[in-house]
Amino acid sequence: MALTGRTALLAALGSLPVGILAPSWTGMLAVNAPLSLAILCDYALAAPVRSLRFTRSGDTSVRLGDTAQVQLTVTNPSRRRLRAHLRDAWPPSSWSSEAEQAASHHRFTVPAGERVRLTTFLRPARRGDRLPDRVTVRSFGPLGLAARQGRHDVPWAVRVLPPFTSRKHLPSRLARLRELDGRTTVLTRGEGTEFDSLRVYVPGDDTRSIDWRATARQSAVAVRTWRPERDRHILIVLDTGRTSAGRVGDVPRLDAAMDAALLLTALAVRAGDRVNLLAYDRRVRAQVRGGAAGGDVLSSVVNAMAPLEPELVETDARGLSTTAMAHAPQRSLIVLLTSLDAAPVEEGLLPVLPQLTRRHTVLVASVADPHVETMARSRGSVDAVYEAAAGTQTQEQRRRTADQLPRHGVTVVDATPNTLAPALADAYLALKAAGRL
Amino acid sequence: MTGSPTATPTPTPVPVPVPGSPLSTTSVSRTPGQVWRRTRGLLLAALLLVAAGITYAAVGSGGEHGRLDPRSPDPYGSRAVAELLKDRGVTVDVVTTLGEATDAAGPDTTLLVAGPNVLTDYQRHVLRGAVGDASGRTVLVAPGRVSVGTLAPGVSAELPGRAGPHPPRCDLPAARSAGTVETGGLRYRTDARDAVSCYPVDGYPTYLVLPEHASGDTVLLGSPDLLYNDRLDQQGNASLALQTLGSRPHLVWYLPSLTDPSATAGPGGQENGEGGGDGGTTAGESGFVDLIPSGWLWGTLQLAFAAVLAAIWRARRLGPLVTERLPVAVRASESTEGRARLYRKANARDRAAATLRSATRNRLAPLVGVSPRDAQSPGALLPAVSARLDASDTDAVALLFGPAPADDAALVLLTDQLDALEREVRTS
Repeated sequence: MALTGRTALLAALGSLPVGILAPSWTGMLAVNAPLSLAILCDYALAAPVRSLRFTRSGDTSVRLGDTAQVQLTVTNPSRRRLRAHLRDAWPPSSWSSEAEQAASHHRFTVPAGERVRLTTFLRPARRGDRLPDRVTVRSFGPLGLAARQGRHDVPWAVRVLPPFTSRKHLPSRLARLRELDGRTTVLTRGEGTEFDSLRVYVPGDDTRSIDWRATARQSAVAVRTWRPERDRHILIVLDTGRTSAGRVGDVPRLDAAMDAALLLTALAVRAGDRVNLLAYDRRVRAQVRGGAAGGDVLSSVVNAMAPLEPELVETDARGLSTTAMAHAPQRSLIVLLTSLDAAPVEEGLLPVLPQLTRRHTVLVASVADPHVETMARSRGSVDAVYEAAAGTQTQEQRRRTADQLPRHGVTVVDATPNTLAPALADAYLALKAAGRL
Repeated sequence: MTGSPTATPTPTPVPVPVPGSPLSTTSVSRTPGQVWRRTRGLLLAALLLVAAGITYAAVGSGGEHGRLDPRSPDPYGSRAVAELLKDRGVTVDVVTTLGEATDAAGPDTTLLVAGPNVLTDYQRHVLRGAVGDASGRTVLVAPGRVSVGTLAPGVSAELPGRAGPHPPRCDLPAARSAGTVETGGLRYRTDARDAVSCYPVDGYPTYLVLPEHASGDTVLLGSPDLLYNDRLDQQGNASLALQTLGSRPHLVWYLPSLTDPSATAGPGGQENGEGGGDGGTTAGESGFVDLIPSGWLWGTLQLAFAAVLAAIWRARRLGPLVTERLPVAVRASESTEGRARLYRKANARDRAAATLRSATRNRLAPLVGVSPRDAQSPGALLPAVSARLDASDTDAVALLFGPAPADDAALVLLTDQLDALEREVRTS
């Protein structure tokens, strides 16, 4: 049972006849008894809420920042006309602003025995799965004085995927990859390259790559082309421990790391490598075992990343190393997306690094905070100078930590959120070109 | 390695649409049956509570109901004595407020105060003032230690004595003709010379007559027993009661009540109503309300009803608030900012200066061709830096390896000078 503003307004207007014509209990009764009767009749004549049927359809996944549409079909099986106000409740983070939240309210009318399709627009503010709460319906009577109210549980799920904003860097990196492939220019022959094909010599080719035996068989001079080895294994390890929760420019470090991991995945899949994903803090949060090739790996990785949240626990570096070893039986490139904070690296990562580097190539990528840089450059007042000192101190520590890693044969990529993805892709291409995969 | 990629342990993102079977309902509201089942226990408990309360009230009120009320035929009522007085031509008026009681006081009136102990201090003062002027008779039924001091000055109450039949033992004609009467209860002591003390119990009287000025007097009854319906016919009770209450043609029977507005009035109210006491305040208030046309009052009442309806309208939400787990929001640079504030609070100029100098040395070293390992040693760095500076106007030694600045201004200056030095080396 719910009342409307119209009821209160009628009761307020009733004070005029009560006050002017019949200022007594009789007058009160004469005004309020018909009003109460009208409310009860209206309530009785409102279409029932309990018997309404609901079905959902629409988007099941959306990239962060895009808009998802979820349809809700309301069927009115009763013999009365449904005049309803409906709220399709979703968690608050399903909308980026308060104003958009109004999209969850719908006012509509459904004649007896018919149905209506309502569309709720969601523009989620965060990654992860969004599950709808209840659907609340208020069914008004013909006079609009009283309403029935009830709730329905209509399940659905919208998975909000990482935005993959570094997609824009993919074409340029693919062009670089093609250069490596030897299709366009001459390649240096390295450790990690394999014989690709013979082609006709063109001026400018390295004369050392002329295949004399093939030239003897043909009338033209043939050169050998080389290409980087394919089907290498790449294991991307996301550290979801407490250091990944820190926000750099309102985005958690983990999200920046994911963006970089997605670009690397897209690039590596095109290059013909096998990509595996592991998210770990004290236990495995997500894993993807990639196949030979194909775009499916990328969508699997995106899906696996979507519900990941930073956990407020210290990462178990030993467990991470053991799990990574178990996930990479062959020689692999292990890309570890973690932080370069002094304590976690020196106490956790450094002791277990030799174990990893013995068999694998290890690349450590970390999200740097541009705000620390800004602090280190601040000048002018006493507060600013102390900030500069603290920022410089942090940068120094970070640099010292980063300097320790290459001694173990580890490649380090330390970049701000905007530049991490292309920097990691470049590091991968450099390793590939050098045949170190 | 399997051929197709598999993502575990994340759940499948594809939701299962609700089957459109007409039999299944998605409603999660409670059905009327469920509501009834949930509330019936509470309703039953409330019903039992009300029934028990009514039963208890009915059983417990029994004999006490209408105590000393001249309209009550109950054992502890006083209708019998009132009827007897009416037969003898005495008019009996029952009043419940102090205003009525004081208005009725007069030389040919007996004022019976049935419960002087429940009056407030203020009411007792007003009452005393009224009866003192009236020169009628005032009968106080069992006034206690507190009330006797105000209502009968010069008299003090002693501990209660044994109740039962007692001989008069005094020269009061009424007492002599009544003979033995069931008295007892509170006993009184007075030093007044003209006071008549009757029915003493263990030395102190339980029936005391105090003459006032003119023809008035005040009678203190230690026990109300002789006025009760079921005791009136015992001993000489009726005789004493009729003679005590029937000495004037009018009897005003004052039963104090809680609805009396003067019960809440304080001593401040005394100034408004001179003599009459509380009358002024009450008359002023009711007068103001009476002045408003009744239509406005009823219209306001209807508006209040409308306000209640509006409150119900606004109070009902369209579904509950939806909760969700919020992610932690902690800036990655927070520890750095905290360290900056700690430096500031501790005035750690030495530490800040050392950090900034060390960073500048590290940045200068590659610019002047010194290996990073030697960046912190004065011997290797200083000559290389000095060689790049044209004049000796910049003291590189003091800047890069000098003592900690003495105050905040020196620290700010040092920072600026380090920047200038670095710029100079860079542009040279």
